[in-house]
Amino acid sequence: MPGFSFAAMSELTEKLASLQQRLARALETAGDERALEEARAVYLGRSGDVAAIRRSIGRLPAQERPLAGKEINDAVAAMEALLERKREEIASRAIDTALSERIDVTFPAPEPRLGSIHPVRRVIEDACAYFERHGFAVVLGPEVEPDYYNFDALNIPPEHPAREGFDSFWVDETLLLRPHTSPMQIRTMQLHRPPIAIVAPGKCYRRDAVDARHHFQFHQIEGLLVAEGVHFGHLKGMLTGLCRALLGPYQNVRFRPSFFPFTEPSAEVDTTCPKCGGGAAACAMCGGSGWIELGGAGMVHPNVLREVGYDPKRLSGWAFGFGAERLALARYEVDDVRRFIDSDPDLLEQLA
Amino acid sequence: MFIPLSWLREYTDLPAASQEVADRLAMLGFPVAHIVKRPHITNVVVGRIRAIERHPNADRLQVCTIDAGDGAQLTIVTAATNVAAGQIVPVAKLGAKLPQTTIERRTMRGIASEGMLCSPDELALPPEWFEADGIMQLDDSLPLGGDAVTLLGLADDVLDVEITSNRVDAMCAIGLARELAASYQLPLRLPSFENPGGEVSLRARVEIESDDCLRFVAQRFENVRVGTGPARVRVRLALCGIRPINSVVDVSNYVLLETGEPLHVYDAAQVRGGTLIVRDARQGERLVTLDGAERTLGPSALVIADAEGPLGLAGVMGGERSEVNDATSSILLEAAIFAGARVRRTAQLFSLRTEASMRHEKSLAPALAEIGAARAAHMLLALGAHAGVPQVAGSARVQHQAIALMTGEVERLLGLRVSAQRITDDLVALGCTIAQRPEELSVTPPPWRNDLANDADLVEEVARMEGYDAIEAAMPPIAAPEISSREYDVERDAAFTMRALGYHEVITHSLQASAGPHAVALRNPLSDEQRFLRTDLAPALFARLARIGRPYRLFEIGHVFSREEGIVIEVPLLAFAFTTEPNDEPPWRDREFLRCKGDARELLCALTGRCPVVQRAERPGFHPGKCAVVLVDSVEAGAVGRADPRVERASGSSLPLYLAAVRLDRLPERALPHYRPASRYPSTYRDLALLVGAEVSAQSVEAATAQAIGDICTAVRVFDEYRGPQVQPGAKSLALRATMQRFDGTITDEEADAAVTRAVDALQKQLGATIRT
Repeated sequence: MPGFSFAAMSELTEKLASLQQRLARALETAGDERALEEARAVYLGRSGDVAAIRRSIGRLPAQERPLAGKEINDAVAAMEALLERKREEIASRAIDTALSERIDVTFPAPEPRLGSIHPVRRVIEDACAYFERHGFAVVLGPEVEPDYYNFDALNIPPEHPAREGFDSFWVDETLLLRPHTSPMQIRTMQLHRPPIAIVAPGKCYRRDAVDARHHFQFHQIEGLLVAEGVHFGHLKGMLTGLCRALLGPYQNVRFRPSFFPFTEPSAEVDTTCPKCGGGAAACAMCGGSGWIELGGAGMVHPNVLREVGYDPKRLSGWAFGFGAERLALARYEVDDVRRFIDSDPDLLEQLA
Repeated sequence: MFIPLSWLREYTDLPAASQEVADRLAMLGFPVAHIVKRPHITNVVVGRIRAIERHPNADRLQVCTIDAGDGAQLTIVTAATNVAAGQIVPVAKLGAKLPQTTIERRTMRGIASEGMLCSPDELALPPEWFEADGIMQLDDSLPLGGDAVTLLGLADDVLDVEITSNRVDAMCAIGLARELAASYQLPLRLPSFENPGGEVSLRARVEIESDDCLRFVAQRFENVRVGTGPARVRVRLALCGIRPINSVVDVSNYVLLETGEPLHVYDAAQVRGGTLIVRDARQGERLVTLDGAERTLGPSALVIADAEGPLGLAGVMGGERSEVNDATSSILLEAAIFAGARVRRTAQLFSLRTEASMRHEKSLAPALAEIGAARAAHMLLALGAHAGVPQVAGSARVQHQAIALMTGEVERLLGLRVSAQRITDDLVALGCTIAQRPEELSVTPPPWRNDLANDADLVEEVARMEGYDAIEAAMPPIAAPEISSREYDVERDAAFTMRALGYHEVITHSLQASAGPHAVALRNPLSDEQRFLRTDLAPALFARLARIGRPYRLFEIGHVFSREEGIVIEVPLLAFAFTTEPNDEPPWRDREFLRCKGDARELLCALTGRCPVVQRAERPGFHPGKCAVVLVDSVEAGAVGRADPRVERASGSSLPLYLAAVRLDRLPERALPHYRPASRYPSTYRDLALLVGAEVSAQSVEAATAQAIGDICTAVRVFDEYRGPQVQPGAKSLALRATMQRFDGTITDEEADAAVTRAVDALQKQLGATIRT
């Protein structure tokens, strides 16, 4: 590097000092990492100013050379420190800049990508999950069923008045759309040996006029537990737990005597209205009664156990059949069961 | 069933509050749908009109002198026109509260009126069922000066009780009172069930020619005067929702509501030959029933007949020919028990459902026939009739079989410890008779209960008496059963996967208006709109998407049905469909199809753990050139594609429709994935641009490339397609990337280049491809 030649130590010292001052000046205007690198190349690079000075050390008397080397190294260290300080300053300024950024976090996010599960399935899913936690299996079955599974095997012989309570859609002489999920009791017990612990959710059909509370197509959740030592208290325990799992920890459950040919004793099961908590006279959900009807339950009738070859003296069991839509109406405070079938995006997204 | 509380109180001393009684009935298994509140009525007494004079100052008013009992006399001015001296009427005294008014002393055109004569309306009774034209008429069965509100039950609430089909014994006032008395442990005051009839000269004759008549009590009454019935009877009928007709018909309706036994009354003069015959109808016989309809009968109908022909449909409805009318003076009373199934068939045959048939259908207890006849005889005698000897026909009274009840059964089935003494008390309160042995009770149900057949039935009775609330909730000990939940797991996982893919679940109608040749039809649809079981999920999804009208994604999981060779086939299906904004893609490309296919692949991978194979195919409902089937383990699991443009148009959707349908029953069990460690050495890739014939599929290009490269090939993917001016017609340009990697070392450039050369060679030979450079 021409121009950097010197003859004496004093001159060397002076040159190094001037280089340091020039670097310091150059760095004052350096605003980013690239400017730093450029400055570094000019002063400290392979073909930079300091390197040129170092190359000309040879012209000094031999005894001065070590001292000169030390002076150069000190100067390089000082200049590196200068660069480092500046680098630190730039980085910290960049962070300060980043930290000063302010966006409108309330600006809307992109449209949701997640779809939704139908509220009726959600109820069924949560109910089944509750029973699965307690060791029950979940079984599914056909919707078109012979009358044997729907009625005969369930202690409802032909001409039994209870058949009228199941106003069914018939496909032919013996086949019908199941009016309840109870056929799955028979199918399961005929296929498996006790103990039996199942839930059977699914679609059912009855020739009911459609209104806000009724539809000719609905879902039931059937449950069946058959083993030695199973009693009505266990039915109360499990169903109380179910209502609390689905509707909240303060739900109470009421059992009222009723009649079903396939259970004895039989009960209607109600749970406290989750909207008014029971007893608000003007509650639209429960009509002021404080209770929501869930469906029927009871101890499996001895004739049903005999039909599947079980010994009613040794085994006992309970069964229940709840309306999934009833539960969904109460759970999501929906005013009309038809909304579940209309499935407007509005409903699906609100209850997703 | 409507039942006034006042009627129940006649038999037992119930709590005052209607709600308390309603709650108790509900906990006994008889829910009260609602309580019909009666208005507050006070200070209305039974009075007799002693004399009537015209009001001296008003043409329209009359001045009545009223005996109000205990020698009290009241002067009452009335505008009513149906009043006459001697009438017994409801009198609202000064201070009386009526639903619309409070009675105060009023001076009417100069004469002070000391009360008011009441019309049915003013006592909250339907006027059209009573004296519509004026003052209500009472009768001398009520004590003069007595409190009419209590005597007639005007202010006591009415319960609308639901009664399950097994408890026909409780479909009457006595039945419900019996349940309540047993539950409250109160004494029951029943009226006399002894038949007071006995004039031997009056004989009724019955012949039973059908096994479906189990019992028939016939009784003849003379000196019958048909007229307006007693007010107490008429008011009770009205509160029960039954219109009073005349004194004789009112008796039969009253006894029906009181005891549950349906009665029928014949004008004896119209019964030819004097004998009532129970028999099957003959083919072509005609009968005009009380509703005025002429009916042609056949042998399936059971009738009551005389020598001339049918008089009525047994247990359902009487006939016009023998109907009691104002001129009737002599009647034949029928109290019969028919086989429930036969009455139901007869009622269904003629689409008739009556208070009588509703009860007969549920199989009445034979013992009821005599009780019904006896109660009617008491009432008719009180009306001045002469009663003959009841003529009882039919099988001898069947005593119920005793049921053995191990006392331990109660605790085994209920989880509630009840002592043997307590069990006995509960059952005795319900009318059972019990012989006790150690550990075991021999229980004979009361004659009126037809629903108690085994020990479980008795356990329920104990539970009702103890109260279901007494049973403590407990958690059952369950051994995990070895029953598979697989079908359900598949449905649930499918639903949650679709949700994650951005689809919204719907549940649509399984019943629809139209269907193809294999559709399953219903025999008894509610309407033509719902005549067939669906064969497909797509139409309902399309209809909903069309209605939504903006890009949206839906799915449904449900069964579809078809009939093949007479057998109903039921298949669980998942369908998803979406609409997109219209796009102007060239006819050889459809990115939305790829999205649809991709979603189907993700679903099937999630459900089966396998990557499905996609093949071009044509399926009904799909666009013939934009449809593929997906195969899992070589089984066709479903189809994906754009909807057939004709289907799209018919659906009314203005947006393009895409659909996939998956047979959930055809999916293999999910394969467990096994981890394979990744290579520690870097991978490399080469991109190729080829010209191939337009008909060459991307899949075949990928397969040929992968095969030629061999083991070191980790992925081949076609990532671009081009047709247009840059390539000749009938050809297309494809771009693909092949990725290579070794497990035993870094792949060299030479190795990768050699592999690509092999691939190019193979593509040329197998698919006629040329490389674009």
